[in-house]
Amino acid sequence: MLITLEETRKLINDGKILHIAADETMLAQLPQGKWIGGTTPYFIGDEGGTMTKEKLFVSVIDYAEDARIAVYGKYNVFQIVEECYDNGLTMLIMPYGSEVAAKYAKSAPDVEELLMHPTIGWISGYELNTVGEAKVFDGTTGASYTDKAVVMYIKLPEEKSAMINMINIFTDDKTDPVIRFEDNDLSVTDCTVNGQKVNFAEYIAKKGIDPKMPLVADYNGSYLNISIKAVDEGKVHFYAPVFRDIEYRFATKVDDYAAEFRNRVESAGARNPVFSCNCILNYLYGELEGKKTPPYTGPVTFGEVAYQLLNQTLVYCEILG
Amino acid sequence: MVQKVQEKVKKILLGEIRYTSSNLAFNILISKMQKKVKADPACMDACLSELDEFLTKYPIVAKVDLANIAVL
Repeated sequence: MLITLEETRKLINDGKILHIAADETMLAQLPQGKWIGGTTPYFIGDEGGTMTKEKLFVSVIDYAEDARIAVYGKYNVFQIVEECYDNGLTMLIMPYGSEVAAKYAKSAPDVEELLMHPTIGWISGYELNTVGEAKVFDGTTGASYTDKAVVMYIKLPEEKSAMINMINIFTDDKTDPVIRFEDNDLSVTDCTVNGQKVNFAEYIAKKGIDPKMPLVADYNGSYLNISIKAVDEGKVHFYAPVFRDIEYRFATKVDDYAAEFRNRVESAGARNPVFSCNCILNYLYGELEGKKTPPYTGPVTFGEVAYQLLNQTLVYCEILG
Repeated sequence: MVQKVQEKVKKILLGEIRYTSSNLAFNILISKMQKKVKADPACMDACLSELDEFLTKYPIVAKVDLANIAVL
């Protein structure tokens, strides 16, 4: 829910466990308490998509039996798989452009046990077209960071389980060329296309590929996107890393991005997500300003975490049982 | 995992039958295990154990998948 600073302060002072997304100026004025926060001025509220620096998107974690907050850097962020509750939900926020986010993005798929622990989160950001700085906040101390991940471990009652899922409008065409990369990387020069080594930037230009279309990888029917950030000087830069040993194809063309996104939201079937966040690229390309996406409300983000870092995706969590 | 389901899961890992879950983590895990089995068929039992551990840990989430796989 999008609420005022005063309403948020009251929830904190009442001892509620909270996840908060807001502009830095709002987060910096909050009292200490059991909350974590990340910066963004973009939200999907009950009234639709909006950009505001005067309200906060607050999720009350009233389904928790208990909760703990921790802060990690790039060398120890994967302690989350050891320090989480056995039956719980891990929520993490990492600043855009930080080394901890890059480390998480590159290494998460190789971390044993990660899939055994429901993990959801997002990459904090700032107003586009400004020289902003993405931050995360540890509400227990009030400290903010540009280079750390802030994590909330949520303990669930024994009879409940968290399930993480996503909404992605993209799929692939299995007759399209297979693209592979040599390493796990956020920037690449070369790739192979159907086994032939090529310069990836030249391939994109030659084929006239729309860079709004992400690369997609098929994980047993779940399609995970890698969005293109920029193509320059023969290199292609991504918002999330590509991985060696994974087959990619460019997503099939979507004629009406906004309509397709609405269709997917309507057919996704989640009844009562306790948390969701949506990519800034969906917000822009899907023209979500002023549009509602019930029941999915939450921050609009510079990257989404559903176990691993995703792009151009809405991720959400439901509590089952 | 009961024997009947385990046989079906084995076929899923070998790519003989296709099953897509509504659970993202389960799909990613199946995808990982399929790659492992393809690279080294001898690790089938270890992969089955890992999938079993996953399904056992979250019975509320897994019950739909187990029921669906049983009737494949």
